[in-house]
Parts: sequence; structure tokens; C-alpha cells
Amino acid sequence: MTTAPAAVPEVRSLPLTAAQSGMWYAQRLDPDSPAQNTAECLEIRGPLAPVLFAEALHRTVGETDALRVRIEETPDGPRQFAIDIEPPGHGFPLHAADLRDQGDPSAVAYAWMRDDLARPLDLATGPLFRHALFQVGDAHWLWYQRVHHIVLDGFGYALVARRAAEVYRALAAGGDPGPSPFGRLGALVTEDAAYRASEACDADRAHWRAAVADRPEVPGLAGRTALPQRTFLRQTARIDTGLTGRIEELAGEVRATWPEVLMATQALYVSRATGSFGVVLGVPMMGRMGSAALRIPGMVMNVVPLRLHVTPATTFAELTRQVVLGIRAARRHQRYRYEDIRRDLGLLGEGRALVGPLVNVMPFDYGPDFAGAPTEAHNLSAGPVEDLTVNVYDRGDGAGLRIDHDGNPALYGQTELAAHQERFLELLGRIADSDPHLPLAAHSLPTAAERTAVVEEFNRTARPLPPTTLIGPIEAQAARTPDAPALVDGGQTLSYAQLDGRANRLARYLVSRGVGPGTVVALALPRSAGLVVALLAVLKAGGAYLPLDPDYPAQRLRYMTEDAAPVCAVTDVPGRLPDTGLPQIALEGLDLSGHPGLTPPRALTPQHPAYVIYTSGSTGKPKGVVVPHAAIDNRLRWMQDAYPLGAGDRVLQKTPSGFDVSVWEFFWPLREGATLVLAAPGGHKDPAYLARLIREQAVTTCHFVPSMLQVFLAEPDAARCTGLRRVFCSGEALARETAQEFARLLPDVPLHNLYGPTEAAVDVTYHACRPGDAGPVPIGRPVWNTRLYVLDPALAPCPPGIAGELYLAGGQLATGYLGRPALTATRFVADLYGPPGTRMYRTGDLARWTADGEIEYLGRTDHQVKLRGLRIELGEIEAALAADPAVSAACALVREDRPGDQRLVGYVTAADGQDPDPEALRRRLATALPDHMVPGAFVVLDGFPLSPNGKLDRAALPVPESTAGEGRVPRSHQEETLARLFAEVLGLPSVGVDDAFFDLGGTSLLAARLVTRVRAALGTDLTIGTVFQAPTPAALATALGAGDGGADDALGVLLPLRAHGDRTPLFVLHPAGGISWCYSGLLARLGPRQPVHGLQARGLARDEELPTTMEEMAADYAAQIRRVQPDGPYRLLGWSVGGVLAHTVAVLLQEAGARVELLALLDAYPSDQWRDQAVPDETDALTALLRMAGFERGGELTRADVLATLQREGSALAGLSGRTLSAAVDIVINNARLMRAHDHRVFDGDVLFFTAAAPRAEDWLTPGAWQPYVRGTLQRHDIDCLHPQMTQAPHLDTIAARLAARLEELNG
Amino acid sequence: MALTLQQIRADVADALGEDPADVPDDENLVDLGLDSIRIMSLIGRWRREHAVETAFVDLAEHPSIESWAAVLGVTS
Repeated sequence: MTTAPAAVPEVRSLPLTAAQSGMWYAQRLDPDSPAQNTAECLEIRGPLAPVLFAEALHRTVGETDALRVRIEETPDGPRQFAIDIEPPGHGFPLHAADLRDQGDPSAVAYAWMRDDLARPLDLATGPLFRHALFQVGDAHWLWYQRVHHIVLDGFGYALVARRAAEVYRALAAGGDPGPSPFGRLGALVTEDAAYRASEACDADRAHWRAAVADRPEVPGLAGRTALPQRTFLRQTARIDTGLTGRIEELAGEVRATWPEVLMATQALYVSRATGSFGVVLGVPMMGRMGSAALRIPGMVMNVVPLRLHVTPATTFAELTRQVVLGIRAARRHQRYRYEDIRRDLGLLGEGRALVGPLVNVMPFDYGPDFAGAPTEAHNLSAGPVEDLTVNVYDRGDGAGLRIDHDGNPALYGQTELAAHQERFLELLGRIADSDPHLPLAAHSLPTAAERTAVVEEFNRTARPLPPTTLIGPIEAQAARTPDAPALVDGGQTLSYAQLDGRANRLARYLVSRGVGPGTVVALALPRSAGLVVALLAVLKAGGAYLPLDPDYPAQRLRYMTEDAAPVCAVTDVPGRLPDTGLPQIALEGLDLSGHPGLTPPRALTPQHPAYVIYTSGSTGKPKGVVVPHAAIDNRLRWMQDAYPLGAGDRVLQKTPSGFDVSVWEFFWPLREGATLVLAAPGGHKDPAYLARLIREQAVTTCHFVPSMLQVFLAEPDAARCTGLRRVFCSGEALARETAQEFARLLPDVPLHNLYGPTEAAVDVTYHACRPGDAGPVPIGRPVWNTRLYVLDPALAPCPPGIAGELYLAGGQLATGYLGRPALTATRFVADLYGPPGTRMYRTGDLARWTADGEIEYLGRTDHQVKLRGLRIELGEIEAALAADPAVSAACALVREDRPGDQRLVGYVTAADGQDPDPEALRRRLATALPDHMVPGAFVVLDGFPLSPNGKLDRAALPVPESTAGEGRVPRSHQEETLARLFAEVLGLPSVGVDDAFFDLGGTSLLAARLVTRVRAALGTDLTIGTVFQAPTPAALATALGAGDGGADDALGVLLPLRAHGDRTPLFVLHPAGGISWCYSGLLARLGPRQPVHGLQARGLARDEELPTTMEEMAADYAAQIRRVQPDGPYRLLGWSVGGVLAHTVAVLLQEAGARVELLALLDAYPSDQWRDQAVPDETDALTALLRMAGFERGGELTRADVLATLQREGSALAGLSGRTLSAAVDIVINNARLMRAHDHRVFDGDVLFFTAAAPRAEDWLTPGAWQPYVRGTLQRHDIDCLHPQMTQAPHLDTIAARLAARLEELNG
Repeated sequence: MALTLQQIRADVADALGEDPADVPDDENLVDLGLDSIRIMSLIGRWRREHAVETAFVDLAEHPSIESWAAVLGVTS
């Protein structure tokens, strides 16, 4: 029965086509990946003769030379070689199984298929296809085909399946299937090569380069990109015949086809989900039109980018027309490979996508006819998924369409994928039922249920409240608890009655100066009791207060007072503000005795303004936000309900009054009978002061901007602030790591994350951090009487998980911007989802809902940035820079070149004939802008980098240069360690010991990081304050030395490299030169819990007798070790001579009855091996000294030469005095002599041995020589380095990793 | 009713959303937006309306009106 296919002469090897090459390289990147396996399962319902089927299949494969290849790399690149395929039963890759006796035959079959599909194929051996035929019922069969995508595409599958059925029919009828209809693989290769050499190819390259150069940046639904994974996730649904019919009808109406309608719908979906009018879809094309490839089963298909412009005003008909014309245009250039377009644009690799979702429509008339048995094809894998691929199959079986959403699991979860599919299908249904000539604004993404959730359910916050003001409840509280402490300012405490009385007197005076409801009073006072009195007084008089920071530049203060036109200004001392003609009332010397201490009468309503706070403005001028009493009253009533304050609570006031967080700090405690504790002016920047104040003043409640919280947590005393009952964060994104660190240090203190702009009365959302949570910290749910909307560009609600712009509505909205009705109208717009006549505020913040109704903050939609919690409009800085006469154009940017380290950088180009000087720019800017808006670095450019479409390319602006690393070399191991840590934290190649941390770009955040690292490396306690006071490695080393052993001790017999830690200490013994600083590299690598003590030679620190035997030296060290750790088990390590010593000490300790649980030797060899070697002379000693510092000796002849080398290379040893250096040389010689005379005894235990395994002159050294002196085993690890390199990176990393693992085992 | 060259041109133009006068007989229809789905709809249409049977590959291989006329056996 089995007949070999007709012998056809064929070329035995061919190059790959461009299409295949792309896949070959992808496979080579991850040879074990099964991602490029494609598979289909054809369900055959009817009688089938398996033997005939196998024969038909074999013949068909015989006709398909593209399938019968293996692919191997050759000197000419990868080539495909023809392979022989054995007949069925003799090796033909067909697995046949009758599963009818299984409980669920289909399930068993599909499990087998899934398993097979997960197996990678070896391209070099082949075959690259496999079949299976399962009988799952008496007349029910499953034909499984799995093929590597590199040899076959979807169209090719259809050709193969139909030919196999044709052959089967002929065989079943006893006839001849006729000649093969297939063309040859060689024709594909020839056609491909001809194209690649053609002018058309060049023209296509130019076309695509121009067409996608300025494409939108984030085309995908996930908002990020990832490399394709080894697997994909799939969500499958059917589009029933009803909907399919309606889609076809709609397609006819807009003169398009149904696939084009699906693509237009997908474009609309992507546009809304990404918030971008620009969309790029990927459209797979079969690439065979008008080509011989129509008859060749092989890999031909390509993907082309389809760019679309989707605005809310576009109609669906217009969008579909764009799709039709876009595909028509793309089709003319479709032969140019997708991978080549990406390569031309420099997009290879992760993080740079060209297209978003792929819409892959496969309308192939597939159904092969196996002698009349009906069939149904199911795709199991369509190949690797870059982002999201929507596969739509029309099998022409009258059952509608099948739609698979295939997602990259690095970007989508199954639930997300299902949600995207459900929404897409609902959207498709709504579009099919709508007039295609309506603007797309009529359509939105969420399903009906999602819409109800995000608009209604998540916003059920209505709460009736009495019509009160900010001040009323404070006055009522003062009447209730007149004698309770209201305010603590340093040593001064005011009772509620005292505070109220003083405020009333001042209020009455202010009334006499014209202050009343609707008027504004400027306040320019440092944080003090006087400030609180003035705040209350303005409110009591009915006025709104305008906080002015007296430290602001005069220019800005003048602008704000002119813009807000206050009635008067209250200051602490005369002359606090520049003279602008504004009446100034200085509290110092003001006699208020004529005014009674009773509440003044006032006609104040909740709608009157309570305060005006200025925020940075994008147009270059700050703007005043007017907040009414009702708004802030709502905010404080909600806060009291959510976090009840009682009489015993003490709230820290540390936020400057110009920032709105201060509003709740000032007023909330006074409304509830709690006590307000004022931080000293400027104290809010000093974490050590704050920690002390919180403890000493028994503060229960306080606020931190997250970046300041991070700094605070690095303060050792932060963990002792256990009297805190609640801590609030707001002002910028709270990092999960910060929240976790907080939970670790203060496990019993709840941490709450709040969010809100000044325009909505401080905060509008809240979230309680939970220690176990992961991922970004949400900003949470809406507060009372507040609604949140996440809206897409058409102002339609976004479903959960989809990012949009955050809008706020409800009772906390500000009245608007003072004196700026036009600006107010653009930011406070009609609330589309609220009661008629209400407003919503457009935050400019990107956000998304979580499934359970919390908001996640994702960033800004514009160039407004927050730097350490302070809101900054870059436009304002740019305007100030551009106003400088030396500058022609300017740009400002917050850079984060090191994670977590944000800094503001100004970029300028010079005006004609000018040469802008950064220092002069800084000075001039400081006269116009507050400190936090003055860039830390300025860069003068010849011109600004532009993107292909001529816009400023902010990402291409250069990193500001810094100069560091010059100067004096370290004097001690501490200096050396600190200089290295400075460099690591600052991201610099090196740092000199006299370079100041903050001059090199250090910030307080980086200082916090430095403190953590220094603690880890040196085990010493230090605070950020220490870094401020001693900002250079040299100064810091001195400061640390003063508190924790003097610097002289660096040469003492016992060197505490890290004195503290809860683990059993590790003792490290000095090499030949007697100094143990070389082990400092172990510290960071072994972690902060591992104490490390060095043993150093006598005679280094002071003149003393050198030991006369190795036994004597070891006994001395054993005694020193027992001083630190009186009892075992002991852990010892030694390098070189130190290893010999460590062994000797270990023996002594054992003989004294102690346990030694670790003996680690770093390239150390027993005395026997040295005995016959000459004792080193001075020259040898100098060589040894250099080795100690990690260098091989070069041309150095004298002690001076050696010293010069050490200095040039920046070694810590270079700081040794001449006396010490001489001593070290003597010690080297003495140690060599003692070692040669030493007799080892036996150590009872295992030895961890590290060999410097690079070839060396002393080839007679062998670790095996230890064997007589070790009762246990010698566990050897070869390190690929020379002896002197062992204590240097990267070799020390390897050693420390082994060592750490061993220590970990010992720790249990 | 037998399929004519004129009818082929009219149906192709309809499928492409073009005016029949803008579809020259020797033009590569792919450049005018012809794709597999449109070919299949034309095949279906001609089967229904003119009882003409033809295979996808036969049309897709030489996508012009004059070639199709030859494939479909239409002379005028």
C-alpha cells in the first residue's frame, strides 16, 4: 500500500528567506523555547481509514519540500537542508492512538497535544513538523498538526490540509490523486532573493521608514512592552452568526469588508485604552497575492504596521475608510519584512515596540473534505505573541467567527485578557447597531456593568453634613475644653482658651482694618504660635488667608501680593515683606489690649473663601487657588470620621503653610480637642530632629511626603517613634518599598496614603497601606461627597484597569483660580456624570481604577512634575530661564538617571553672541523662583535634540556632567570603603576622599541610601545628619572613627571591620604584611548581620617586639579572639600567610577544647611547601606588600617606588606612614621566617579552600599539601585569578558567595 | 445570466469601492486594494449570480480583470 512519492530531483540545501531568517534568529536567542511552534487540530466527524489517512499524509508531506527540511548554521549563514522522511510505521512523525476506551477521549487527546506543543524543536535536526491522529469516537477523529513557524504559515496549513484530504479522497476511491499542485520551496527562495535585490525593496524600505518614524510612543494596551515569552495566554470566544451578519451589513454600508470593520473597532478600542489619538495596529498579510507562492506551502506571511488617527469627532465610517485606504497603501509595500522595519528604526530588543495589537484575520476557506466527513478546524497556537494578537477565524462553516485574544503573559493576565475580549465584543455589538456616521465620541469602552461600577458604585460617597465653616468647630471646641492644651511651640503651651482669646483680639483688630468675608489677608510668619494665632484670627474675622513664605524671592512675593490683592499682610516683625504699598501689620510690638478676647461677629457662609494657596503655573506665573469653607470643612469632617482624633492626640505641624497639607495639620486637631505640636522653623527637613520631637512631644499623628518619609526611615531613631498612632503620606507617589520599610520599622503604626490637588481641598482619596500588599500603592477611594472619574480622551469613563485622566467632582472642589476666569473654565468643567450644574476638575493626573474601586496613580498627562512632593510646572522654570538675556531657548526636566534620585536640570541655548554661565543662571533664577524650582544643574547646548517630526526630544537631552574622583588617596580602609560607597550611591566611577557628597549631585534621598550602605558595610551607627556635617569620605571616616574606636585602631591587633551583628563573628587573619584591611570587601558581600573582626600584626601601630614563633603569634591571636568571643564555635578565615595562621589558631582553639566550625583558607599553603624556599629579602617583602594591596610588582625598586604605586592606584595602604611601611616590610620578612620554621598539627574538621587557579610561577604550590593536617575534607573551589587578585572584585564575589552559603548553613 | 467582462469590471469596482471607469482591465488589482476576502466575496457572488465556479488561487495568482476574464472563460 505504501508508495514512495515520485522521486523529484531537488536542491539539497537552500538559504533561508528573509521571513525565515527573522524566525531563525528569534529561535537562536532562546533555543529551548517552544514559542514558534504552531499547531492546528482538525476535527473529523465521520468514518476515516487511518492507514489511508497516514498514506495520504505521507504523500502530501512528500509533495511539500518546505516541510522536509532541517536548518543549520553554515559559514554562509543559516541554510535549510532537505531531509528524508520515512514512510508511516517506519519513522514518519505520526502518532496514532485509539482513545475510545478513555473516560474523556477528547480531553486525553488535547492534553497530549498541549504537552507536545510545549516541546521545543531542534531546527538543526528536524523534522520540523509532527502529526497525530486520535480516534475519540466511532466516527470522530482529531488530526493534530504541529509545525515550526519557520517552515509554514497559516495559509500554508490550509494548503497542506486540503491537499491531504484530496489525496485521501482519491486513495479511498481507489484512484490516483494526480500530480502535486504545489510549487517548490526553491521558488520562494528565488523570489525572495530577487525582491531583496530589487529597487522595489529599497523603495519599500524608504516608505516604511518615513511612514512610521513619528509613530505614537506607547501603542499597546498594557502601556509597556516586553519580549515575547515562551508561551502565550489565550481567551477564546465566538462571534455568533447574528452579530457576524450585522457586521457584514455594516461593512457593506461603509463600503468595506468585515475584517476592516473589526480592525476599525480594534483601533477605536486601542485609542481609548491608551488615551492616544494615534494608533498603530499590526496587520498580518499572507503575502501571496499575484505570486507563485499561492501554490507553495511555506512561510511567507508578513506583518505591516497600520497607522490610524482616531479622534472623538471621527465617525466610524471615516475610521473604516482610513483602514481600507491604509491597508491598500500598506499592501503595495507588504513584501518588506516587519523585522527589517524594526531593525531600520533601531527597535530590536526589549522596550521598543513598533505596533500595538495585531489583528490577524484568517478568512481561508479551510474545511478539507475527507471523503464527505464534515470537518472543523481549531487553531491551537499561531506563534509567538509580542503584545496582543487578536486572531479571527472564518472557517466558512456557517458557525460565525471564532476570535482568540492571544496575550503575552509578561504583559497580560488571563483576567485582563478576558476583560479586553468581553469589552471588545460588546463594543463591536454596539458599533454594529449604531449609525456609522455618528462621531466615535458616542462609543466608550466599558461594558454596561463596568460603567455602573466606575461611575456609580465606586462613587457612593454622599454624606449629609451641617453647613459649617473651617473656623466654627474650632470656636465650639474652645468653648467645650477651654483649659485643654491646644498648642505646643517649643517650651510654650497655649490652652484652647488662651489661643482663642489671642486670636479673637487680633481678629477684632483685623476687622477694624477692613478684613471681612470675601477679603484676603496675606500671612508671612515663620512657623510659631504667632502664625497659628494669625491664621485663626483671619478666619475669625471672616477673611481668607494667603500664606506667603518669607524666604521666597522678593520678585515672587511681590507678584503674589499684587495678584491676590489682599487687604493687608500680617507678619511677625516689620520689614518681613518687600514694600509694595500693601499695609503690613507686624505682630511684634502690636498692642491688642484694647480689643476684647471674644469671637467677633461676622457674616461668614460656607461658600466664602477660607484660604488662597498659590501653585506653580504652566504659563510661567503661579496661580492662586481659592478654597471655600464648605470644601475644607467637608475634608476635615471626613478625616475625623475616618481617623478619629481624641483629646489625647498630638498632631505634628511641620508642613510649610504655603502647601495645603498644612491646612489639616493646623486645623484638624483644634477642631477635635487634640493638641497641635509645632516643629521648629526649618525642622521639617531634619529627620533626626523630627524623630526626637515626635518622641519627646509624644506626637501621635503626622504627615510625610513619601520622599521625606524615606529619609526619615533611614534615621536610626525612626523605629523608636512607637507613640505614633497614624502616619499620613501624600504629595507624590508612595513607593511600595517605602511603605514596606515603614511597616518593618513601625509595625504597629498604620500608614495612610492620601491624594488630592490644592484645587480640591487637600485630599480626595485615601488608602490604608497593608504590610502584605504588593504592587503600586493605590491612592484609594473617594472621600465623603466626592466623585472620581477616570476618563478617556472622549471624556467617556474608562473601565477598571484602563488608564485615563483623573477628574474630581463633588463638595471639595475649589472655587477656582483667583482672578482667572478663563483658566478656571478650562480646568473646572461641567460634570458630565453628576447632577446638572455641577463641575468637575481636570487634574492632569493619569490614573486607573482597580477592580475593587480604588484608584492607582500613574503619572502626569502634561509636564507638571512633583519634586519631593512639591508641585512644579516646568513651563514656569522654562519661562524664567528664557527670560535671561544670555539665553535664547530653554527647557527644564526632572531627570532620574539613578533610580529614585530625581533632580531638576535646566537646558539652555545661548542667545546671539552670549555665553550663558551656569552659576550666573542659577543666581538669576534664584531671584525669581523658590528654591525648589531652581535647577540643581544647568547644561548649555548648541541646539536642542529634535524628534523626526521636529518636536523637542526630551529623552535625548544629555545627562549633566559631573567631575569627581580626583584628589588625595584614602588613608584608611574606612576612607577607602566610604569613597567606594559614595561612588556607588552617586553612580560615579570614583570619588576622591575630599569630594563632598552634595557637590557631586548627592541629595538627601541619596544620603539616606548612603547611610544604609555605610551601616551595612562598616556596621557603624550614623545618621543623615552626620553626612551633612561630614560630607566627604575623609571627614565621614573621621566622624565615624570618633564615635566607634579611633582611627589609630586601624592598625591595632584587633580591627573591628564590622563590630556589630547578630551572627557568630568571622575572624579574618592578616596576610604577610600584617594588615587586614584587604578583607573590607567581604563586609557588604556578607551582609549587615555578620560581624567581621580582623587580626593584625604586632608592631604596626607602635614599636613592639615581633613574635618569635608562629605558635606564639597564633596564641596571641587566639587570646584576642576570645576577648571578642569568649566561647566557640569559632569561624576563621585567612588569605596567604593568614591561612597558615588561621589553621594554627584553629588547632590551638581546638586543643583548648573549643569548637571551630569554619576554617576558610584563601590560597594559603602549609609550611612544608615553603620550608626549602629562601627567606624573602627586602625586595621580596616589597613584592608581598604590593600583593597585599592587590598589585603584581612591576618596575618598583625601592620603598619609595612602592609607595608611589600605591598612591597612584588609590590604595588604602598608601596612607601608611614611613614608620608603618617599614614595620610592614619587617613583618613580611619575619612572617616568612616563622612560617618556614613552623610545624603544623592536625585540624579536626573540614577546610573550605579557595585556590587562585590561574597559572603561576610557583607551580609547586598545591592545596593537597594540607591533607596531613586536616582530618576532614578539603573542599576546593578554583577561582580563576592570580593570588593577589583574590580579595578583589569580581573574584571576591565568587568567594564571598560560597562563604556566605556556608555561613548560612552554619546559621541554620 | 452569463458573466461578462463588463459585469466583472462592475463587480470588482464595487468590491474595491471604486468607479468602474477607474479600474483598467490590465491594472494590478492588489494596488487598488484587492485582498483575499474581496476575492472570496467575488467568487461567492459569481457562483450565486452566474453559476461560475472558480478557485481562490486561480484568481489570486493573476489579479487583473483581463486575466480573470481568461480564467473565467469570458471573452467579451
